[in-house]
Amino acid sequence: MFNYLIRRLYLLCITSIILTIIAFSIQHLTVGNTLDSNVFSQYLDYLISISQGELGVSALDNQPILKTALIAFISTLELCFFAFIFASIIGVPLGILAGLERNRGIDYSIMSIALIGLALPVFWVAIIFTMLPNLTGWVMPIDGNISVIYEVPMVTGIMLIDSLLVSEQYQLSAFYNHLVHIVLPATVLAIFLISEIIRLTRHSITMIMRSNYIKAAHTKGFSRPQIVYRHVLKNAIPPIIHQLRLQISTIISFAMAIEIVFSYQGAGMWLFVSIQQGDYLALSTAILIISGFILILSIIVDLLLVLISPTKRKVLYADQ
Amino acid sequence: MLINNEFNEEKIQSPQQYIWSIFKSKNIAVVSMWAVVALILIAIFCQYIMPYPPALQHPDMLLLPPYWVDGSNPAHLLGTDDLGRDTFSRLLKGIQLTLTGALLITVAISLLGLIIGSTAALLKGVKASIVHHLLDALLTIPTLLTALILIVLFGMSFENSLLAVSLSLLPQFIRGIYNCIETELNKQYVVALRLDGSTNLRLLRYGILPNIIEPIVTLLNRIFTMAVLEITTLGFLGFGANLEEIELGALIAKNLDLIYISPYLVLFPGLAIFMIIIIFNIFAEGIRHAVIEGED
Repeated sequence: MFNYLIRRLYLLCITSIILTIIAFSIQHLTVGNTLDSNVFSQYLDYLISISQGELGVSALDNQPILKTALIAFISTLELCFFAFIFASIIGVPLGILAGLERNRGIDYSIMSIALIGLALPVFWVAIIFTMLPNLTGWVMPIDGNISVIYEVPMVTGIMLIDSLLVSEQYQLSAFYNHLVHIVLPATVLAIFLISEIIRLTRHSITMIMRSNYIKAAHTKGFSRPQIVYRHVLKNAIPPIIHQLRLQISTIISFAMAIEIVFSYQGAGMWLFVSIQQGDYLALSTAILIISGFILILSIIVDLLLVLISPTKRKVLYADQ
Repeated sequence: MLINNEFNEEKIQSPQQYIWSIFKSKNIAVVSMWAVVALILIAIFCQYIMPYPPALQHPDMLLLPPYWVDGSNPAHLLGTDDLGRDTFSRLLKGIQLTLTGALLITVAISLLGLIIGSTAALLKGVKASIVHHLLDALLTIPTLLTALILIVLFGMSFENSLLAVSLSLLPQFIRGIYNCIETELNKQYVVALRLDGSTNLRLLRYGILPNIIEPIVTLLNRIFTMAVLEITTLGFLGFGANLEEIELGALIAKNLDLIYISPYLVLFPGLAIFMIIIIFNIFAEGIRHAVIEGED
């Protein structure tokens, strides 16, 4: 375990160094810096400024760009979090059902839904969803994170907690308002995520239903729910998590496209506005923040997988 | 008529013929194959099918609905937009640009990715680990962000957006190929081939490639889907197409202001993207099933 941890941390170091090189070269190419002709010493300066958390000042509003970017990216993560919870609640049971009833009617209908969900372009679905309140008569906000009438001071940077902290003033209505604003964008993102989770779950379940220990359990005379709960689910979950880990960057890039349609103040909207107005410093900052987050998250997920699944641990010991 | 059945020759089908015969026996797969052929033909002969030039304005016929709605004009099958331009022609032009772009990207990525991925998998030592770490780093950058960065570096045009999308999808494909070959390399027949003294190239051609057709089809399908989605997303955000090159995403973005007056203008391009992706997905799924059944 310790060796594995060291190896992952070593990988983290090398990958993050490569990321800083990429970010530096993008900053060099777009913004440019003519003070010092030596690229290498400029890169060292850049590394030092990263370690001090000073990535420069945005040309748009003269605020430190790191703070703006972090606040925007946390909003994106809130969106992804809600979409992920929603999608897991719907997607995992459907996927299990499709995997157990393989090649029957119910499997075909669930897989058709998944195929349709994957083929719909997210920004178009987002546009359709912005029209929904108008068509159906629901009262639903379709733009921004929170109504402008609420003044939420920045305490933690996470809007969900910040809006709870002002409950003395607004009695939770700011919190509810923020939640209502998240519902539609999160649903759009969840449509993509649901179909992805259904596909992964079905694939993983069918792989496990074919294995010999399931046949052995059948011959022992276990009933089907018993087999599913005791043997199938435990073994099916780790591959799904592993595959979803590889999809994090896709999910975030879809979330960014959805934000722009809903003008939700997240990383996508921030990048879009910055690029349109020519503030290219945002690009290298975005790489550092978003990729750094994905890198750290994927290593945490790896460690979690090793902790929960004995088969991964077996590979680990065989390596030594 | 002389039936030449004297020497009852038993023909053994080659694997390709066998897979083809399985593919033919599935109705949905064959239908989707012809739909793919039709889409490609539309993309090639777009100029001749279009009833009007896509930029031609009809000032007397603005914002017409499609033909099945009251107040339509049969001269414009799917109606017109706010400048009187024919929706059907613009849709066909959009399909042509998006589809050819996505197909070009898929072909380019599959060639480059196969070469780089198999080289990386067969190499060992320092070179392999450099490729490995570089891929790890590139994979953590979201594709939309990569595309945005490349567009900022190269400038905004349709060609550059294609280049940006292909460069942002390339790491995913290389990683996929790399993983396929890596699992295949540990199998016994590869060891047997190695013991026979085959070179790396021969190992790849006769040992590995015939056995990873199924994952490659899945990967290519995924790359194509992502390519269509990203080209249209970039077009929608206004980074890809200019006025002449109306690809489907840009078409949606241009008609977005008219959504409450004439929702069809936004609905049709989205449906076209959806149809392109779903047809190619069903086609790829058909091939994949045929390959899996052929291997059993």
